[in-house]
Amino acid sequence: MIKFIGANKSFNNRLVLKNINLEIAKGEVIVICGPSGAGKSTLLRTINKLEPIDDGEIIVDGMYLSDPKTDLTALRAEIGMVFQHFNLYPHKTAIKNITLAPRKVRGLSRKEATERAEKLLEKVGLLHRRDAYPVQLSGGEQQRVAIARSLAMEPKIMLFDEPTSALDPELINEVLDVMVSLAKEGMTMVVVTHEIGFAQKVADRVVFMDNGEILEIGAPPDIFVNPRHPRTKEFMSSVFHIPVFNVNQEEDQDF
Amino acid sequence: MMITGVKVTLILLAATTVTSLVLGTVIAIMRISRIKILRVLGTLYVEIFRNIPGLFWILFFYFVFPDLLPWGLGVKLNSYLYYPIVAGILGLTVDNASYVSDILRSGRLAIPHGQREAAISTGLSRVQQYLHVLLPQMFRITLPPLGTRMVHNFKNTSLCMAIAAPELTWATQNIESLTFRGIEATTIATLFYIFLAGIMVSMIILLEKWWKIDVSSISHSKA
Repeated sequence: MIKFIGANKSFNNRLVLKNINLEIAKGEVIVICGPSGAGKSTLLRTINKLEPIDDGEIIVDGMYLSDPKTDLTALRAEIGMVFQHFNLYPHKTAIKNITLAPRKVRGLSRKEATERAEKLLEKVGLLHRRDAYPVQLSGGEQQRVAIARSLAMEPKIMLFDEPTSALDPELINEVLDVMVSLAKEGMTMVVVTHEIGFAQKVADRVVFMDNGEILEIGAPPDIFVNPRHPRTKEFMSSVFHIPVFNVNQEEDQDF
Repeated sequence: MMITGVKVTLILLAATTVTSLVLGTVIAIMRISRIKILRVLGTLYVEIFRNIPGLFWILFFYFVFPDLLPWGLGVKLNSYLYYPIVAGILGLTVDNASYVSDILRSGRLAIPHGQREAAISTGLSRVQQYLHVLLPQMFRITLPPLGTRMVHNFKNTSLCMAIAAPELTWATQNIESLTFRGIEATTIATLFYIFLAGIMVSMIILLEKWWKIDVSSISHSKA
């Protein structure tokens, strides 16, 4: 479904993606984790070419992103994206946020688009908020509307860029629940997140990145519990608040 | 004469409000375009028309512009009874549009990056991004300065007296010189200007209330 072949990208002479090779199958749920600045979001954003890569190739659903003949607008319509800051259109109600693209891009009538949107709102548990403006919604509600907005295009792939990082802890689960059910329906998902619990529950594979490189790919237990790469070990132990026992160091480390 | 003055002022106001908004929007889009030549042309437009007084442009369209046209057309324009009004509309439009475009551009800069990314990632084309996502927010964000600018443009209609477009200020002056009843005429004109500006301002305030959606808080809203 998605294939990275030797993808490189740099910002201001600094390599942010180094020789990325990754193949993601249809229906697979991939979680990308790693420290900030590792290039996780950049990697995600190259999939719908919000960020172009400098060299290498990315093939999405059989289309080559570097090919100038590829219809990017059409491709993007097939790839849903959910952002850290939701990015709902503030001047439109929840339902109008959802119906915009299906009507304009897919050519659905107002009635068809509204019916589809209502179904999706019901699915994310927000049908009663259909006429609310984004500012009247909580963060968790906004994010669920944003997910519904992406799903309204009936995408083949869903990208999640830290979808719960801007949320109050109490609101995280309502968003994760929607994502879990989506994963169970067989959606191809690429998720950048720090939610280890979510990853353990639904991820088929976890990709660990640091410094623009993929250091390790594996099933969730392999990455979280038995990481092989020293950098992954270090990261996981700090995530799980486990002190690193380093034979070369004599004293106990604070954590 | 006073009635004609009011009518002409209203015509100037209505026409230039519409034309300068349209032209200003086009120039604003040019200035934020990714095509360099459009950006350069847009910037050139703003720098030329904003940095030369509006009165100059009114005089320009009245006295100079017809001479630049092919001979027959220029003569036709000069002998056209309502040409002062047309020249006034042109002059006010190009002047006001330069401000409008810069105000709208500032609105575009205030829209968080994520808005366009969201629009892109749902497959909206560039035109659709503008029509449904960017422009509506640009107008909402810039409504207060845009409204002020439009009131300013309304007052600028009085500059058209310089080319004898029979608008309100011209009529007031004319009544003064013909009948010496300057105080009465000026008083009426003053009241009218205040009244109409008042209506404009109330419309803008109503629109602000109507649009009372806190655009600026979108992407960094509370979780």
